[in-house]
Parts: sequence; structure tokens; C-alpha cells
Amino acid sequence: MGDAIVVEGLSKAYTKRHAPPVRAVDGISLTVRSGEVFAFLGPNGAGKTTTIKMMCGLITPDAGSVRLNGVDVLRDRFQAMQQIGVVLEGTRNVYWRLTAWENLMYFGRLKGFAGRKLTRRAEQFLRELELWDRRNDLVNEFSRGMQQKVSIACALIHDPPIVLLDEPTLGLDVAASLTVRRWIANLVREQAKTVVLTTHQLDMAQELSDRVAIMNKGHLVANQTVSELLRIFREEYYQIRLKGRLNGHRPAWLDGLSVVTEEDETILSGSLPGQNALHQLLDNLHELGLPLLEARRVEPDLEEVFVKLVNGERKLAISSTPEEGKATL
Amino acid sequence: MKAIMAALVAETWKGILIMWSYKFNLIVSMVTLSFVFLGINFMLGNGQINSSVMASTLLGYLIWFYAITAIENMSYNLRDEMQCGQLEQLYMSPAPAQLLLLGRALATLVVTTLQVSVMGLAMIILFGVRIPMRWEGLPVFGLTLLGLYGFGYALGGATLVFKQTGPLSNLLTNALLFTNGSILPVDRLPAWLQTAAKLLPSTQGIIVIRSVILDGTPLSAVWANGSLVLLVLHSLVFFVVGWAVYRVCESVAKRKGSLGQY
Repeated sequence: MGDAIVVEGLSKAYTKRHAPPVRAVDGISLTVRSGEVFAFLGPNGAGKTTTIKMMCGLITPDAGSVRLNGVDVLRDRFQAMQQIGVVLEGTRNVYWRLTAWENLMYFGRLKGFAGRKLTRRAEQFLRELELWDRRNDLVNEFSRGMQQKVSIACALIHDPPIVLLDEPTLGLDVAASLTVRRWIANLVREQAKTVVLTTHQLDMAQELSDRVAIMNKGHLVANQTVSELLRIFREEYYQIRLKGRLNGHRPAWLDGLSVVTEEDETILSGSLPGQNALHQLLDNLHELGLPLLEARRVEPDLEEVFVKLVNGERKLAISSTPEEGKATL
Repeated sequence: MKAIMAALVAETWKGILIMWSYKFNLIVSMVTLSFVFLGINFMLGNGQINSSVMASTLLGYLIWFYAITAIENMSYNLRDEMQCGQLEQLYMSPAPAQLLLLGRALATLVVTTLQVSVMGLAMIILFGVRIPMRWEGLPVFGLTLLGLYGFGYALGGATLVFKQTGPLSNLLTNALLFTNGSILPVDRLPAWLQTAAKLLPSTQGIIVIRSVILDGTPLSAVWANGSLVLLVLHSLVFFVVGWAVYRVCESVAKRKGSLGQY
């Protein structure tokens, strides 16, 4: 597999009068392989959307470069724009005063895709997205979910090899969100597209992505495969079951661990930095006099990993390429 | 090139479809246009409508209408798309955005021509206004539009950077109505205002169109007396400067990261 997206040293600072510049993106480098689903995660204001927009040439970076299938976005805009389809965050990527069909025809031709190929692809999309019967209705008569489906179809109508989806399921109900998720999975499985996805729905990222980059305050704090990321944190994530209850007594050394009481059992879970910390915790628990039932490593979910990285509780060594992406603690 | 032409045609077609979807607005603006025109003639004729001078006023007034739709639509549509979120999708086209704006200007031209034809026909039938049909008027009209589109580009560029340019747009369109010779001939304005008026994009166009259509002056004659040459230069300068201003503003908006923000 080749590299679909190569980002090198990308930086962007926003300047305002009478205020210090805000470094939205600070020298990030990353590579997305062809046919990969790459999730771009981070809290609000982390710099994800700025990065996505720089990838599309909608924001000019202060430094660095973006290449899409080898085409430099700033130097060869014509070729670069034919490599990508984008759904940006927001409700109106399409024209509400046009029908679904008219929107698809318009966006297809806008991106240089025309003729029978265009009409065939538009029909295929509308059928797949269950909108064929309503193709001649104005988009402003559609539900939010249907509008988003039209947006995604318009972004992909010219058959781009790379698809950037910025919060594609934001504001969608469960059913519409599920359709979009399935469609994204299908894009990769059957059409071999490269998908870059930003989302706050970490379960979706975990379900769909091959690799995850987490951004915080303009920096990358993780860039690993999902399984690699979870494995790293599994090594330090424990669950301890004790017989009996703490009876309202919660010593300070339990800070940072979650404590759940179920009938006559107490379950502690959380991450511990190494074996010594585990042994120390077990000693402390022993002194409380509660019998130990079980102590085991468990796999955290992406959400727990995300919180730790964004809060700066853990730091990973970051590399830009997938080959070097074996993270170290 | 084929892809770019397809994008241009798509933009024009989309513009027509969207404008047509607001049919009520189109009819109301046409009726308003007619009433304002009659009101102006009523005042100029001291309480009477003099159909003998209406042809000259109508010609200037219609050029002014083309001017305001060309100028306002370029900035208004951009503002609307920034607010709604489609502008960034427009910028995802391989075709340059300026060319796409030209596409929507062509859409406006088609719809405005439809409105103007209905209004003009009504004036001819109701008031016996006689406007000779001379093909020589078309290239002169095209040149006038070129300058107006340049003006529109500059205003569109300002919209990308400053976002709220409605008051500026109103100021410019009103200034055009009262000073570009649509209502009052430019030579009846004070000297200082004549100088300012001649710098506006449609003034020279109206002078030449009136000369060619109403007075029957051949193109060779208006070329020889320099008025057509002046119009060519004037329109080219406006178009090139407007295009350049748009490019600079687009670059500023992309650097500020505010292209799609409102």
C-alpha cells in the first residue's frame, strides 16, 4: 500500500489584534496509508478542523506541506482537488433549494465529473442511501440525517480516492448514524477508499478505524493503530476485586482509581504505572483487611485512553509514519 | 480545460435553478423596478410621464439594473454561502473560484435579461417607448458588463475578508444610480461629480450605448471619437483590478483561516 496523505511539519497560528497568536497546529507530521481508515481525535479546539482544512487547501499553513497521493495541495490545486472529497462539519454542505438529484449533478460537474458516469454514480448513491424515491424533492424538505447523506454523496460523487469526513454523524439519530457508519465501512471494504475521519464518538472511531491520531492543543499526542494503542494501555490498566465493602472509607491512595461496589464486592479499576505501584496498592488493600478475589489486567476502551492522553497523564513517543508508529511509553 | 468548462456550466445552471426557485422574489423585484422607473420619470417630467425622453432613461436605468444585480449577487451569494456552509465546498472544485463566480454572474445575466425583457416590453406596450434594436449595442453592452463584473469581483473579495459588506454594496449601487448617467446625463452634474462619475464602471458604457442605439452612431464612429476606446480601457482595467483584488482577498481569507466563516 502506498501513502495516500503525507503531512510534514504542518503549522498554523491565528493572530488577533492585541492578543498573542494562538498556535492551532504546531508542526505536526503524519502519514495515512491508502485504503486505511484514519481517525483524527481530540477535544474541541485541539486543531483537528484546522488540520483537515489545510489538507483541503482551504486554510494556508504557516509552514509545512500536505501531499495527497503525491500531489502537493498548495502547488497543484487542480490535481489535488481531484484526489479528495470532503464533508466538513456543519449542516449545509449542499444547496437546500435544489433537489437531491440536482445537488449530485451540480457537485459532480463542479469537480469535473460528467456524462453517463455521473448519472450512473448518482443513481447508485441515492439507491444505496435509500433516497432514490425522493431524488426530486428539495433538500430543505429532508430530515437532518437525509441531508447529511446527500452531503456525503455529493462529497464522493466524483469518485475521489481520499475522503475526509469531519464529524459525519454529528446531530444524527441512531438509525441515520448507523447508516453512515456502514457506508464508511463499505467505502473502505468495497471501494478501497482512504478515509480520514474526525469525530467525538470514540466508539465509532474504535469500530471503524485502522489507526488513530489524537490531537491536543495543536500537537499530536498519539498516532498508532487502535490495537497498538489499546495494548499499550492494557499493560498498565488493572481491575481488582475485593470481598467486602470500603464502608465509606476511601483512603487518599485510591485517588485516580474508580471504585464500584456490587453487593458484597468492591471493584477497583484504573491504570497503575508499573508493577511496583500494583504491589504497593495490593499491600495497602491487604492492610484494610478486605480479602483479594482477583487482580487482572484489562483492556481499556478508546475513551479511557483518549482521556489519559488529552489530560497529559500519559505521554507517547510520536512518529509520523505507520512503520515507525510502534509507540513507546 | 474540459473539467473547468463543466464546472462553469454547472455553476451557471445551479445559479439559474436557485434564482428560479425564488420566483416570487423575481416578480416582486421586477414590479418594484418598474414602479421606481415610472416614479423617476414622473419626477423628471414635473408630474408627467414624457414618453419621448423615456427611451434614454429606460436604457440607462436597465443598465443600472444589470449593474446592481451583477455587483450585489457576487457579494450577496458569497455571504449567503459563507453563512450556510457551501462556500468551502465550492472551493473544493478544481476550477478557480473566480471562474465559478463568473458562472453565477452569467446565471444572473440570464435571469436579469428575463426580468428586463418583461419590464421593457411592458413599457413599450403601455407608454409607447421606442428603443431601436441595433446589434451594435450588444458588444458595447458586453464591454460594460465586463467592467461591472470587475467591480463585483472586488466587492466579492471584500466580502471574503470583511464578511458584512451589505452597506458598502448599497452605497455603491445607489451611487451608481444617481451618478452614472442612468437618470441624469453626466454632463448635467457638477464638474467634480462628473469626474467621479466617469470613474464608475457603467458610466462610459451608458454614454456609448445611448450613442449607438438611440443616435444610431456606428461602432466605427464611436471608436474614432475615442469613446469606445475609453470604454474598452475602462472595462479592462476594472475587470483586471477586480480580479486581482479578489485573488488578494481570497489569499488573505485563507491565511486568516476565515474563508468559510461568517
